[in-house]
Amino acid sequence: MTRSIGDSLRRVMILCVKDMKLYYFKGPTIVMGLLMPLFLWLAFMIGAKLSLTRGLLLLIAISAFFAASSITPIIMPWETRQKTLEMLLSRPVTISTILFGTALASTLFGIFISFILVIIGLLFNAIPHNIVLLILGVPIASLCYSFMGLLFSAIPSDIPADAVLLSTIVRLPLIFISGVFIPIQRLPCYIRPLSYISPLTYFSDLIYYVYDYSSLLNPLIDLLMLLILSIIFMILALIANKRTLIKRL
Amino acid sequence: MNVVEAHDLVKRFGSVVAVDGVSFSVRKEEIYGILGPNGAGKTTTIRIAIGILKPDRGEVYIVGYNVHREPIKARSLIGVVPEVSNPYVDLTVWDNLMLVGGIYCLPKDMRIRRARNLLEALGLYNVRNRKVKFLSKGMRRRLLLAMALISDPDILFLDEPTSGLDVFSARVIRSMLLELKKQGKTIMLTTHNINEAGLLCDRVAIMNKGKIIALGTPEELKIKFGMYTRISICFNREVSERNLKEYFEGLDMIVRGRCVMITCKTEDLNEVLDKIAMMIKYNKLRIRELQASGLSLEDVFVRLVKGS
Repeated sequence: MTRSIGDSLRRVMILCVKDMKLYYFKGPTIVMGLLMPLFLWLAFMIGAKLSLTRGLLLLIAISAFFAASSITPIIMPWETRQKTLEMLLSRPVTISTILFGTALASTLFGIFISFILVIIGLLFNAIPHNIVLLILGVPIASLCYSFMGLLFSAIPSDIPADAVLLSTIVRLPLIFISGVFIPIQRLPCYIRPLSYISPLTYFSDLIYYVYDYSSLLNPLIDLLMLLILSIIFMILALIANKRTLIKRL
Repeated sequence: MNVVEAHDLVKRFGSVVAVDGVSFSVRKEEIYGILGPNGAGKTTTIRIAIGILKPDRGEVYIVGYNVHREPIKARSLIGVVPEVSNPYVDLTVWDNLMLVGGIYCLPKDMRIRRARNLLEALGLYNVRNRKVKFLSKGMRRRLLLAMALISDPDILFLDEPTSGLDVFSARVIRSMLLELKKQGKTIMLTTHNINEAGLLCDRVAIMNKGKIIALGTPEELKIKFGMYTRISICFNREVSERNLKEYFEGLDMIVRGRCVMITCKTEDLNEVLDKIAMMIKYNKLRIRELQASGLSLEDVFVRLVKGS
């Protein structure tokens, strides 16, 4: 039992390294994971007249969101198209192991991008007041976003653009209802309930707390909600991908 | 001892029955071939056997493990070269092997040693640092074989291992398979190449329209279904077709210049040879070349597939 769990974890790591080598520099990852949040942020910053520190918090929040959810949607369609999925599945791995490897690679990408921005912030004197919450929050949020992205990869298509389109249709509106550009208090009351099912709401709120204690919710609630949403997305992503797997083979 | 056993496999795709009640067993250390025309159900059968596809009915056991209930245990014991799959084209040859070795949880030094040996044996060591997208189809196929062998499995499944390959790559793969058999591996392969089946396989199952219609060693199949003998004779001069027809009326006969090919039932062979002797005597002919052979596996295959 212990050995089989150990072997499964080893396989997850091996597949994660493979995904990092193959997908970090793919077009959709760079465009949707790096350029998209950067240009959205620039567009907002030009009109918003925010301080650099406050602007940086926004950038960390949306970059982690876009980066961690940009790889997971494309991997399954891509591997279906390249006919590598069947090659993997004819080895001693389950679809769950493959999906966990993908989610881990995507999570690490989100963490990496977020911490680069944190370091850039340090250069501009944006200092986090609560390092522990930051160190806990970034990985949990990245994990949550990557499982959310994995949900989009269940679309039974071998065209990565289909999954990217679906994920963009969902992710873009989330930016505007999650208190990133517009504070939740200023949103129409009929939209506010939606804000509280968006994982971005809790991470952006947590980042505001970590840097200037200006959060709307208790940071522990933010962390807890991110964990709960991670589990929900994980379960949904595993079920959805298992269901559509037969159409991929 | 049977190491692979399949019982009553059925797989439908919509209204099409791709595999229709197929059962087979593969003995330890044999090469078992499934031979059939395109669309016969060979690939579907092998995909069910390795657990990629779930059958609508039936079960497959690999060394006692049910492939669909205990897939990890069953697949840990096998190596697979699927027809419709690829190595990672953006990874190098070496990285692909390391990846698969890692999936089998092999220690790093073992992975490296085996990868080096396999690449040398398959003529790929010099291109180990090349990305797969820059390899020829034959090289990719050889890499897939190396990836299947990295875990040193006792059982190997190959779906059309030499399909579409150049002569050199096909020969490398065939000789590797025969070498693996000598080492005690069990191999199950599908092919539509009759010569390959005859050359490699200890037993051949002929499949058509989702069913196994014949099973046996290539020799058994030829004896069982090929009850005909083909006689080719070349004379010192041309013989008219009309003249030949007088002697060999009712038999399959092809005349090409000074040569004639006659196909007759093996039980009638004496009678036909008497007629040939008579014809030679009356026409004062001399034989330049004479060959008599049973039907080839190809002839058996065509007769069986047409018949079914």
